Amino acid sequence: MVLKEKLVMDRFAEVVKNRHDYAREWKQRTGGRVMGYFCTYMPEEILIAAGMMPVRILGSHEPQDVTERHIYSMFCPFCRDCLAQGLKGRFEYLDGIGMAHTCLHIRQAYSSWVLHVPTKQNFSYYISMPAKPQSPRARPFLIKELEAFKKAVEEWIGRPVTNKDLDKGIEVMNTNRRLMRQIYELRKADKPLVTGTECMQMVCASQCMDKEEHNKLLAEFIKNELPKRTGRDAGTRLMIIGSEDDDTEFLAMAESLGATVVADDHCTGSRYFWNEAPKSEDRIAAIADRYIAKVPCPEKDWEERRRWTHISKLVDEYKVQGALMIQQKFCDPHEFDIPPLMKMLKEKKNVPSLFLEFDVTVPVGQFRTRVEAFLETMQLEM
Amino acid sequence: MVEEKKEYWRWTEGLYLNKDIDWRKAKSITLGVDIGSVSTQAVVLTDGKIYCFASIRTGSDSPDSARKAVESALKQTDLKQENIHYTVGTGYGRVNIPFANKTVTEIACHARGANYMGGPTIRTILDMGGQDCKAIQCDERGKVVQFLMNDKCAAGTGRGMEVIANLMAVPITDIGRLSFEIDKEPPPVSSTCVVFAKTEAIGLMREGWTKNQVLAAYCSAMAHRVVTLLQRVGVNKDFTITGGIAKNIGVTRRILNELKVDMVQLQPDPQIAGGVGASLFAADLLEKQRKAAG
Ligand code: SF4
Repeated sequence: MVLKEKLVMDRFAEVVKNRHDYAREWKQRTGGRVMGYFCTYMPEEILIAAGMMPVRILGSHEPQDVTERHIYSMFCPFCRDCLAQGLKGRFEYLDGIGMAHTCLHIRQAYSSWVLHVPTKQNFSYYISMPAKPQSPRARPFLIKELEAFKKAVEEWIGRPVTNKDLDKGIEVMNTNRRLMRQIYELRKADKPLVTGTECMQMVCASQCMDKEEHNKLLAEFIKNELPKRTGRDAGTRLMIIGSEDDDTEFLAMAESLGATVVADDHCTGSRYFWNEAPKSEDRIAAIADRYIAKVPCPEKDWEERRRWTHISKLVDEYKVQGALMIQQKFCDPHEFDIPPLMKMLKEKKNVPSLFLEFDVTVPVGQFRTRVEAFLETMQLEM
Repeated sequence: MVEEKKEYWRWTEGLYLNKDIDWRKAKSITLGVDIGSVSTQAVVLTDGKIYCFASIRTGSDSPDSARKAVESALKQTDLKQENIHYTVGTGYGRVNIPFANKTVTEIACHARGANYMGGPTIRTILDMGGQDCKAIQCDERGKVVQFLMNDKCAAGTGRGMEVIANLMAVPITDIGRLSFEIDKEPPPVSSTCVVFAKTEAIGLMREGWTKNQVLAAYCSAMAHRVVTLLQRVGVNKDFTITGGIAKNIGVTRRILNELKVDMVQLQPDPQIAGGVGASLFAADLLEKQRKAAG
């Protein structure tokens, strides 16, 4: 891939589009292992410490007919799209596959993957991430889980993962988080310097490329390209909230209608990188702390709705005027959260929201009418 | 033997002209064009009053349908398209109207049009279009507050009704009346899916159902589908229905029965609500433009 001449944001888009070529080239260049993972609770720190490149399994938004035998079609389209990528052999270069538990839909995709999609080194690992991180017993439990995971990784690579390695893993991940937050800050401006589409490409790129390289690109963007940007008229300031969504085509459409997506609560957005791992002598405990304190997925946000506090803060800080609620069809965790969340936003924040149900492919034309009509309720003077 | 191919789905196209209005005296002449998947309307307002309109079937090409509708509306008068001050396009084909100055979604336009024709007390609008259904809530000015849209299946839409008309060989405009010429309301058919309608209807006829009973069953199944959509947005009074199906009493009466509400009947034609709304938005935009120009 010849990327050097392109602007950073375009390079991110390019990597996302050609993620498999990128990963294959990376393997060839470094001789390192690539580990695939589902959802964003996988402690990538440990994988980076072990010299691997973690890549998140995402779908491709194409109609497919390969998962029908493995997953019921009443499971969310995202988990089926993910599995389809494996069954179609698109991730054939993976050396191992893993997941830290989030929801049953994606676990089904993971289990089918382990059964039917061979990895190069036949390594698979399931971390039992607690379903209720709010419980005081979650932390000690997760520490033990992560220690066991580290041990399995050590056995796999045939050498110990030292504290020095872990420091590096934590440092790389934290730098990535810090830099991406710095870029998110730019969206607070009256004339945001980055669009929502660019931010989503940036986060998706982070999930499918070498983190150190991603960090370098982020630094380059901040140093060389940012000063040349002038920002755009925000129009209506939107936030996207919801289940997994990496549909940049949809986002670009919404941003072409006199609106800018200035904030998000998505696992391909702020939820992925918002908080850092704290400093601690016990590195594994520090990593566990990070995932316990992470902005939760609704699957893990019970009974207190901590994610809502995060969303409310974003609404204030980014001056959000309307929210797009994106729900993967049949996604139970979000389905459970969305109605009261919409109510809370309306009543407490005076932010109206539009509910949209996503499938593997998104009917952009029909969604355009909905988004436009929603924007008209805020924009049309009568 | 060549069987005569009857077009049972064919609904009556509409034309209207208010002869009392002299368009030459009007300060504002605006046009709203609503290109739906099944029908296209062109509505001309002079100083905010309905002057003339045409409602025709949408062809395969949006710009062409828009032109034809405008032509039909203007054919009734000596008003020419170049005399029109501002044009707003709406409906699913809105982006393909070459002569529109601006586009507004059909959701905003139907609410605005319903508010104009039905009065400021209208709060809930059900738009039963050619290929989708929308439940809309609006305020006293006809501004949309909330809406829900079902565009995933053809049940409860104009296209669905056309399929049934053809299938049962009953002119579409008779379906409503005939669906009440029965002894007692049959249980609703299990699937309102137009793809399965054929096999299901044949099955019912074999079981001894009459044609009218089958029609009744379809009408009530369609009504039931949109009622669930409406209940999700909430039905505040006054309630009205726009779009072609608003003229099918077989469906509308059953909706009202199930919801236990009355509806405001839009005059002169519920099918032009989108076009009227678009024309009203055109009038606003024209005024704004003139103000800006001083
Ligand atoms: S949380 Fe929702 S979108 Fe994500 S995998 Fe589970 S069901 Fe699918």
